[in-house]
Amino acid sequence: MKRLISVCLIIMLLAFSGCAQNNAIDSEPYSKEFFAMDTYMTVTAYGKNGKAAVKAAKKKVKKLDSLLNAESKDSEIYSLNESGEAILSDDTASVLKSALDYFEFTGGAFNPAIHPIMRLWGFTTDNFNVPTEESIKKTLKLTKADEISLKENKVKFNLDGLEVDLGGIAKGYTSSQLIKIFKDSGVKSGLINLGGNVQTLGLKPDGSEWNVAINHPYLSGEYLGFLKTHDKAVITSGGYERNFVANSRVYHHIIDPSTGYPAESGLASVTIVAEDGTLADALSTSLFVMGEEKATQFWRDNRNGFDVILYTDDNEVIISEGLKDSFSTELQTEVIS
Amino acid sequence: MKMNKRDFIAIAVVVILSAAGFLFLNIGHAQGSEVVITLGGSEYGIYPLADDKVIEIKSDVGLNTVVIENGSVYMKDADCPDRYCVKQGKVKVSGDSVICLPHKLVVEVKSQNGENTIDAVAK
Repeated sequence: MKRLISVCLIIMLLAFSGCAQNNAIDSEPYSKEFFAMDTYMTVTAYGKNGKAAVKAAKKKVKKLDSLLNAESKDSEIYSLNESGEAILSDDTASVLKSALDYFEFTGGAFNPAIHPIMRLWGFTTDNFNVPTEESIKKTLKLTKADEISLKENKVKFNLDGLEVDLGGIAKGYTSSQLIKIFKDSGVKSGLINLGGNVQTLGLKPDGSEWNVAINHPYLSGEYLGFLKTHDKAVITSGGYERNFVANSRVYHHIIDPSTGYPAESGLASVTIVAEDGTLADALSTSLFVMGEEKATQFWRDNRNGFDVILYTDDNEVIISEGLKDSFSTELQTEVIS
Repeated sequence: MKMNKRDFIAIAVVVILSAAGFLFLNIGHAQGSEVVITLGGSEYGIYPLADDKVIEIKSDVGLNTVVIENGSVYMKDADCPDRYCVKQGKVKVSGDSVICLPHKLVVEVKSQNGENTIDAVAK
């Protein structure tokens, strides 16, 4: 009988140790969902510092949103665009600095001075229209990002009518900043999802990798594939996100800065996987504009910083070799190296 | 020190009960997803994904019609200006969602055991 009791005790102990592991303090999630930057955000951190970290993260988002939104009259960017010069806060200066760096790095495929063209098409107000060729040509002359001089926090536009829009980089910058807040708070595991701009910290609390689905541009309820990842931003850009139909054509919001028209590069979507969210955000747009050939070359030339998932208009998936073991898809796939 | 028959039976019973309990908790629980709807940040309702249903959501900001059908959920109609929620189409995998930004309406598919199939959708 004694033996029976000990067997029971051992079994109970094993059973409870399983529960204890599941409920361990380090796997307790703390999550906040909210609307900001014209999108829906979920911010989750695990462990005992999670609550404080998520609260600080939400505060940071609200602050960055109020600084960076080019359409909001109270933002720093709005008043900079009005006056053509300003002394910026550290955050805004640092986002603008990154934006100008990516303008250089991508040879102009990423252009923070595209705002006048976006407005011309109605993408800033949702009052869409197809502009005349002449008005596009005229407006393109205002999109000279190299006429922006930035020294520390002091910025000046050297061209009348120039305007900046940091929308192409703001969410990536924000998710990177939130990861930094998580790390500084001692959080080891977390997930940030800013309206589909995803960034992960560490592994999941059970030690497995995060499973991030990549949206399919055309088929609802389907995905291009699934990426197992940790400590990475995963950011996708595609013409499917915002667009309008006119003259039985689809016009989407990713404008090729060299033409002023929606980029028609043969790509349906571009996903960048990188440690740095700012880089992932800037490059997802840029490589979409570049098209398959230039994008793959760009990856080859700068392969150490990031990986790519390109989806072509011909339904082919192209991935860089760093993802060949972590990305699973049922679509025909080419691995570039 | 030999085990007698009663010990054996007792151990067998304990083991079988434990196994049954384990299966019940882990497998029984994992089945089935639910649709969690939040409006303006507050929970509006939870519905099983397996049961077809039409949910009309009226609020100060507008009207949305959510349809659960054949294990998928989608926004059938909405009077929001951009109608991106309607264009988003059907969602069925736990961890994915349909969102109507202008109305602050979130329709999420969640696994009942908290273990979603995907952690996020990059889009």
